[in-house]
Amino acid sequence: MASVKLTDVKKIYDNKVVAVHDFNLEIKDKEFVVFVGPSGCGKSTTLRMIAGLEDISEGTVEIDGEVVNDLQPKDRGIAMVFQNYALYPHMSVYDNIAFSLRLQKMKEDVIYEKVTNAAQILGITEYLMRKPRALSGGQRQRVAIGRAMVRDSKVFLMDEPLSNLDAKLRNQMRAEIILLRQKLNTTFIYVTHDQTEAMTLGDRIVIMKDGYIKQVGTPAEVFEMPKNLFVAEFIGAPKMNIIKTNLLLEDGKYYVTPFGAKLPVEGEKGRMLSEKHAKPGEILLGVRPEHIHLAHPGETAIPCKLVVNEMMGSELHLHVDTNDGTRLIVRIPTLDLDSAERNALVSGHEMHISFEGKAMHFFDPTTEDNLLV
Amino acid sequence: MSKNENTLKRHMGLKAANRISNFFVYLLLIIISVVWLIPFIFIVLQSFRVESTYQVGYVIPQQWGFDNYLKLWNSDFKVWYLNTFIIALASAVLITVIQLCMSYTLSRFRFKMRGPLMRFMLILGMFPGMLTMIILYRVLSDLGLTQANAVPGLILVGVASSGMGYYVSKGFFDTIPKSLDEAARVDGATRFQVLYKIILPLAKPIVIYTILTAFMGPWGDYVFARYVAFGTSSGYNVAVGMYSWLTNDQIARMYTTFCAGGVIVAIPVTILFLCLQKYYVEGVTGGAVKG
Repeated sequence: MASVKLTDVKKIYDNKVVAVHDFNLEIKDKEFVVFVGPSGCGKSTTLRMIAGLEDISEGTVEIDGEVVNDLQPKDRGIAMVFQNYALYPHMSVYDNIAFSLRLQKMKEDVIYEKVTNAAQILGITEYLMRKPRALSGGQRQRVAIGRAMVRDSKVFLMDEPLSNLDAKLRNQMRAEIILLRQKLNTTFIYVTHDQTEAMTLGDRIVIMKDGYIKQVGTPAEVFEMPKNLFVAEFIGAPKMNIIKTNLLLEDGKYYVTPFGAKLPVEGEKGRMLSEKHAKPGEILLGVRPEHIHLAHPGETAIPCKLVVNEMMGSELHLHVDTNDGTRLIVRIPTLDLDSAERNALVSGHEMHISFEGKAMHFFDPTTEDNLLV
Repeated sequence: MSKNENTLKRHMGLKAANRISNFFVYLLLIIISVVWLIPFIFIVLQSFRVESTYQVGYVIPQQWGFDNYLKLWNSDFKVWYLNTFIIALASAVLITVIQLCMSYTLSRFRFKMRGPLMRFMLILGMFPGMLTMIILYRVLSDLGLTQANAVPGLILVGVASSGMGYYVSKGFFDTIPKSLDEAARVDGATRFQVLYKIILPLAKPIVIYTILTAFMGPWGDYVFARYVAFGTSSGYNVAVGMYSWLTNDQIARMYTTFCAGGVIVAIPVTILFLCLQKYYVEGVTGGAVKG
C-alpha cells in the first residue's frame, strides 16, 4: 500500500517524438486511478514508466515517498497485469503464479499456500495444473491477476486488462476487479481506452490526449463538469452533441439560440454564467443525448428530421438532422413513449426536440475550454 | 440416374484419382530415398569386407568381419576422432552460448548503431570464410595454435565469428512476445533469468538447431582443419586424417579401413539427428519463415 507521485514526468523517444508532456499527478494510498484516452495518448507509456519498463526522460516518479526513476521494475514494489496476459506458455498455471515467489527464494510450502489462496479468491483452483493454452480468455486473465496478487505489492498496475475479452466477459471481469480491489485494498493504476471501464472502476479518472492530461477528476466531475470539449466528447456514450450557437444576455438572463430556437439558461448553470460574467457571443454548446427530450413546436423547440432510429432495447437512439444539416443524437427511454409514438419514429419523420438549462455545457470556440470551470 | 448417385460417382472418381496420384508420388519418393541411401549402404558393406583392402568391382563382401574396425583402433584414428570430438563439442557449447546471447540482445535491446551493426554483420557473413584463411593461419601461427596445437586453434576459429550467425535465432526470438520479458522482469527476474527461464524454454527448437549446426560444422570440417594442422598427425581431425589414407601409396592398404572410419564418424551425428530431428525441422522452418 503506497502513494504514487509523478512530477513533471516526460517521455521523449529517440526519434524526438514526445509521448508524454509534463505529467503531474499525486495518487493517494489505496486509491483506484484510471488513465483513459484514445490510442496514442500516452496512457500506457505513463504506466510503463511507473512500472520501470520505459525510461523516464524527465521528471520523477515516487512510490511511497521514494524516487524510483533508476530502480529496476522488480525493486519498485509493483505488480502488473498486461493486456495480452503475458502468461509463460511453458509453465502450468501454478508455476506461472509461483514464478515471482520462487525468484524470491521463498519456501515451497509458503508458495503453495499463497498460490492456492490466490487461486481460491480468483476461482481457478481446478486449473492450477493446466498450461495457459488450455484456458479460456477469462481464465487466463484471472491467472495474470493471480500472478500479480501473490507478490503483495504496494501498487497494482493494469494495462488494458479487459480489452482482449468479449463484451459479456468484460462486464463480468469488470465487476470482479471491483470486488478484487475491495479484497486487496491497495493502490491501483488502471489503463483503458474504454470510458465505461474508467467511469465504473475509478475513484478518479485521468483523461489524456496527445500526451497531455486533459482533466483529472472523479467520474461524476468529469461527466457533469468536463473541463474542455475533448473530455466532454470522450466521456459518455453516445458522445455529447456539440452545437455552434450564440449566447445572448437579455435583462440579466442568458439564452442560447440553437437552430433558430431560443432556450433560456435557467437554474444553476445560468447563475454560474452570471458569476463568471460570461460574455455573450459565439459559443459551442454541449448537450448529452440523454438530456434531450422530444418537444411540442414552440419557441424553445428545435425542429428536426429523423434520419436513423436505433432500437437499443431499453432506449432509442434517434439520429436527427436540424434545419442546417447538423446531426444530433437523442436518447429516449423506450418506456417514455407509447407504441403509437414509437411506430411514428421512422426515417423522415418531422419532430421537435428541446433541452433544459441544467443539461447545457458551454465551451469557448477558440480554446475549447469550459466557460464555467 | 438420380442426383445423389451422380455425386457419389464423382466422389468415388475423385478418390480413385487421389489414390493414383499418391501412388506415383510415393513411388518417386521411394526411388529417391533408395538412390540417396546407396552410398551409405555401400560404405557400410565395404567396412565389413575382410578378403581384400583395396577397391573391388562388387558390393557384397565375400568374407565378413571386424578387421577394419580393429585396424582403426590400432591407428592414429583414435587421436583424430578425439580431436574432432573436442573441437565439435567445445565449438557447439561456445557458439550456442554466444549466438543465443547475441540474438537475444539484438532482438530485445535497442541501442545506437544496432541496425548498422546487424547489416554490417549480415554483409560480412556473405563473404566466404575461405577468404580469411591466410590471415587466420598467420594469427594462429603467431599464437602458437597450429599443427600439434591445432585443436584449440580450430575451436578459436569456429567460435570467433559465431555471433554473426544471429539471424535465424533472432528471427525466432522476435516472435516471442516482449510482454513475457516484461512480465518476468516485473516478477523479479534479471535479464539473464528472463533469457534462461522464459525465452530459452520457449525457443527450444532454435536452441537445438543452433547446437546441431554448431556441432556439425567442425565435425565435418576439412579445409580449415587441414590448413591449420598442416602435416602434423596429432593435430588432425578425422576428415584430414582419413583423407591421408586416400593417397596413391596408401589407398590399396587402407580403403576398407577408410570406409569403417566413415561409419564410425557418421554414428554420433546420426544419433543426434534421429533424436532431435523434430526440433531441427521446427528450428529451420521457424527461423526461416518468421525471421
